[in-house]
Amino acid sequence: MLCDDVKRIAYFFLDGTLGEQKKNDFSAHLNLCPECEARTKLHRRLRIFVRNRLARLTAPDRFKQRLMRTLRAVAAEWS
Amino acid sequence: MKTAEVYEHEQGWNFEKAAMPYVDSLYNTAYRMTRNSEDAEDLVQETYLKAYKYYDKFEEGTNFKAWLFKIMKNTFINNYRKKKLTPHKIDFSEIEESYERVIQKNAPDLIRDPESEIFQDMMDEDVKRALDSLPHDYKMVVLLADIEGFSYKEIAEILDCPVGTVMSRLYRGRKMLERTLLEYARKYGYIRGVAEPAKMRSRKDETKGRKKKEEPEGESEAAEPEENEEEVLFAGGEDDFELEDEEEQQEEFAIE
Repeated sequence: MLCDDVKRIAYFFLDGTLGEQKKNDFSAHLNLCPECEARTKLHRRLRIFVRNRLARLTAPDRFKQRLMRTLRAVAAEWS
Repeated sequence: MKTAEVYEHEQGWNFEKAAMPYVDSLYNTAYRMTRNSEDAEDLVQETYLKAYKYYDKFEEGTNFKAWLFKIMKNTFINNYRKKKLTPHKIDFSEIEESYERVIQKNAPDLIRDPESEIFQDMMDEDVKRALDSLPHDYKMVVLLADIEGFSYKEIAEILDCPVGTVMSRLYRGRKMLERTLLEYARKYGYIRGVAEPAKMRSRKDETKGRKKKEEPEGESEAAEPEENEEEVLFAGGEDDFELEDEEEQQEEFAIE
């Protein structure tokens, strides 16, 4: 596997969705190529970073309460 | 035998119990889609009301969270499609080239030391802005995969598109997001780059490389990216990404 191939499938490696053979080839390449290893680490770090930052938002409590009231009102109306 | 009233009551209760745990996830994604809290609340509420209405259509044993997200995506399209969105087509080689430029210029240290903590100081607002800079379809796959943790197959189901399209949008969306984050990191001094200051690419720059391939402008409705073009990256003669055959594709990627 060449560096270009590794760049192209790095995200899918991190997703854990490569087939067994591809996954092994990928790992073997990283063991030999520090730059591809560093890039793959950077992808992984950025992904975790983005998830941590963008998953923080929660629905406001007053909205949740309003939503539940609405759902119960609709359920009552339909029964 | 249960009366209709008891049945309805139970159904309402069951629905609430099943659906409320996802309210934060739905709200988070709705907020990223609509970009403001008022519209996000409306979108989530409408999603819940529709989901309740069609709750008996939900197939037991399938993914309830994905079902809710699909309803939300359809609701969003119905409500906002008219307002939306410039046509776009993202040229793969343009993304690759600009990513390489950005990474060489802005992050040479980062490549040497990818464990360094530089991103921790970045403002939430900058991360949000980086996400918002993605075209809508690309933003959606990144949100669904990397924030909500859906599989390719679930995303394909939610967005009504082939798995290959999900993968190619994910690839491009993630690359564009990383590129923008690296640019911001450099611009706002979170990382040091090489001598020349990083120039923020304007929207005009963003579209420059792909102008000639684009459809004539002036269409008010957003054009879906051509599937063929999107598939190019992961299909068609490439031995590692054979996505044309559904079964083969599942085997290759061992989709959960």
